[in-house]
Amino acid sequence: MAQASARVVLISSLSRHYTDGTKEFEIEAKTLYDVIRALDQRYPGLGEHLEEETSVAIDGEIYEVAYFHALRPGCEIFFIPKIEGG
Amino acid sequence: MDAKTINPQEKTLKVVGTRPVRPDGVPKVTGLARYGADFALPGMLWGDILRSPHAHARIRSIDTAKARALPGVKAVITAADFPEQKYEFIGPERVAVNFWHMTRNIMAREKVLYEGHAVAAVAAINKAVASAALRLIEVDYEPLPHVIDVDAAMRPDAPLLFEDMITRGVEPAPDRPSNVSKRIEFKLGDPEAGFAAADEIVEMSFKTAPVHQGYIEPHGCLARFDAEGQGEIWASSQGHFVVRAYVARLLGMNIGDVLVHPAEIGGGFGGKTVIYVEPVAALLSRKTGHPVKIVMSREDVFKSTGPTSGSSMTVKIGVKRDGRIVAADGVFKFQAGAFPGSPVMNATMCGFAPYDIPNVRSVGYDVVSNRPKSAAYRAPGSPISAYAVESTMDAVAAKIGMDPLKFRLMNACKSGTQTAWGPKHAHDGCAETIKAVLDHPAYAAPLGKNQGRGVASGFWFNNGGESSATVHVTEDGSVAVATGSMDIGGSRASMAMMAAETLGVAYDQVRAIVADTASIGYTHVTGGSRVTFATGIAVVEACNKVIAELCTRAAMIWNVDRGEVVWEGGCARHTGQNAGKIEPLTLKAIAAKRAVTGGPIGAEASVNAGGAAPGFATELCDVEVDPETGSVKILRFIVAQDVGRAIHPSYVEGQLHGGVVQGIGWALNEEYIYDAAGHLLNAGFLDYRIPVASDLPMIEAVLVEVPNPNHPFGVKGAGEVNIVPSMAAVANAVNNAIGRRLTELPMSPPKVLAALDSGSKG
Repeated sequence: MAQASARVVLISSLSRHYTDGTKEFEIEAKTLYDVIRALDQRYPGLGEHLEEETSVAIDGEIYEVAYFHALRPGCEIFFIPKIEGG
Repeated sequence: MDAKTINPQEKTLKVVGTRPVRPDGVPKVTGLARYGADFALPGMLWGDILRSPHAHARIRSIDTAKARALPGVKAVITAADFPEQKYEFIGPERVAVNFWHMTRNIMAREKVLYEGHAVAAVAAINKAVASAALRLIEVDYEPLPHVIDVDAAMRPDAPLLFEDMITRGVEPAPDRPSNVSKRIEFKLGDPEAGFAAADEIVEMSFKTAPVHQGYIEPHGCLARFDAEGQGEIWASSQGHFVVRAYVARLLGMNIGDVLVHPAEIGGGFGGKTVIYVEPVAALLSRKTGHPVKIVMSREDVFKSTGPTSGSSMTVKIGVKRDGRIVAADGVFKFQAGAFPGSPVMNATMCGFAPYDIPNVRSVGYDVVSNRPKSAAYRAPGSPISAYAVESTMDAVAAKIGMDPLKFRLMNACKSGTQTAWGPKHAHDGCAETIKAVLDHPAYAAPLGKNQGRGVASGFWFNNGGESSATVHVTEDGSVAVATGSMDIGGSRASMAMMAAETLGVAYDQVRAIVADTASIGYTHVTGGSRVTFATGIAVVEACNKVIAELCTRAAMIWNVDRGEVVWEGGCARHTGQNAGKIEPLTLKAIAAKRAVTGGPIGAEASVNAGGAAPGFATELCDVEVDPETGSVKILRFIVAQDVGRAIHPSYVEGQLHGGVVQGIGWALNEEYIYDAAGHLLNAGFLDYRIPVASDLPMIEAVLVEVPNPNHPFGVKGAGEVNIVPSMAAVANAVNNAIGRRLTELPMSPPKVLAALDSGSKG
């Protein structure tokens, strides 16, 4: 699978805490793991936070964060609060 | 609306979509089903819990000497017997667990924070001795001022539950503590500019009373410890793996040293995703060396377990004259109860989610108050914000003279619509449910005197996540399916049906069970409408592995290449040169040859399922209001919900019926009533009035099926979104019946009469 550029967006509370307010990133990645590693390299500790405390919407489809999710070129990735139901 | 609504008559599936007799029905109505309170062991002791008489008090001391000296008492414990926990929020935002809070909710330490808060527990030879021992425990309290209402709790001079709690989510951080645990905000576009461009703006404020999930079965469990120190628990819950994890943490044990057996569950609706009596029974058992059983009374359930939040909300919606919504703003303040963690984040995300609105601001406040800590309740948070949003939507439609359903349809979200919390919607389904009600003959049916019709729509995320399943072919070719999902809504039937469909065998050849925590892989709670979706995927994956193995065995039996064998119609078929000449091998025939072809045939699958697809529902309610008494009678209720595909339509319809009934109760009758001292006055079903059958018409469930491409059979979660629009649908119907807008739930007869007498029209 070729590297593809993904648009990655963080919610405000994450960007305030980890990225000095930067919310949007363009990241070359084949899988969600690539995205998490790239963000963690830039902002140490963010990767663990994303893995444990967020869900991820990839082109609107909501998933638990998992390394294996493949990314299509130009996809939109939003790390969002994890939702629990009743 | 490009998505195809599947006509059930066109289904080609043989099992999925049919309505076989529910396997759990007979045991439940004959008393054979074993719930949390039904387990007993030799040498068993009875546990009981002393609870706070105060809404808020400092604990100066607890003297248990007299209780311990009572003959028949085997152990007395207080919070001091539980290990202290670190103060930290662990896990995802909405459900972040803080074990410092949790251990204090299980057993109060420095303070009691609500009437009914546990302060000590005993284990004794019978219930009477346990009860007598509780009366001998001497607790020296310093009563403190309390606060229950959310607006009162947010005032600067409100009594503080935690003297050092600084609001999270506010920058710069406040320099003074308050009862506001957290502020949340989601924003899309430019709401101020949106409102400036609006032709009409409606702003309204609402309050909702706190309500309980109202499950019939009180919390109960039996715990024992063996000589090697392994704990074993039989408990009714929505997730025995969560019970295992929490008990292990609170008792300082390894997770693997706790084994939890799932009992049958008599309702949970979110309220049994957390624990109360389990760690107490386990600790008493560990101290005494005996099995210990604790069963809550109904009063305990009301006073000590998690209800959902009461709220105070303000919603503003701006529209163009043609009906297009251009801006929306919502402020949602939720009671969290004694510890942080209300579902207000969900409320802020879900409230405006059914609609395509370019400019949105949605703000939430999580506020502690002197009530039991809130727990999840069916689409947690979403029904509350939907009540405010959908009531305002109706007022907007009336103001611009537009049909309320056509107004919703014009603004309905679809795949690609931007949400306020970030991503775009990836699925249709909202407009389809609105259209289902719009096209229903009931929508145009005439109404009589004092009658009114209301409609509302709602959104809920639906969840996926971690699930495990095993599928084993037995010696006679029947199939055993085991999953880790507690069966609340008929999942044993739906798992068996999906397995039967996948394997190509008859439904009655498959038996599904819920396995204990040592016998199956980790499976997350039965909640979030996730089981038929996520655990269903695990079952189908396990079946596919079994099919692959069956084909391998058939190739061995026929002495042909594996690639020449396919599985069709419940049989292995040869597709090579001799295709049609070799009799297919049934599952039964292959099972008979299992030993000579390699041994037992079975497979396990564990998944972390994503792409659950959200749920949408639109509802219609007709009411008649008695102007003499203020009583509201529900005449007709229609719930149209996008369920993706119904595996067992009767169970799915049951989910729709149940959600609506709970929404009607929330709208009309249910509320916690406190006296001036913060004591709950209606801790029983006589005074806390959930709807009964005679209060209700036959609820018509319309299953809209927009299949979810991320599930083998198109499933979307079906358990929760049905409750989301219900309160607003009833409220809008009452408004249209009496011409006055009530803005507080429940709309009990005194409030309706007061509105009728007020003369003011909403």
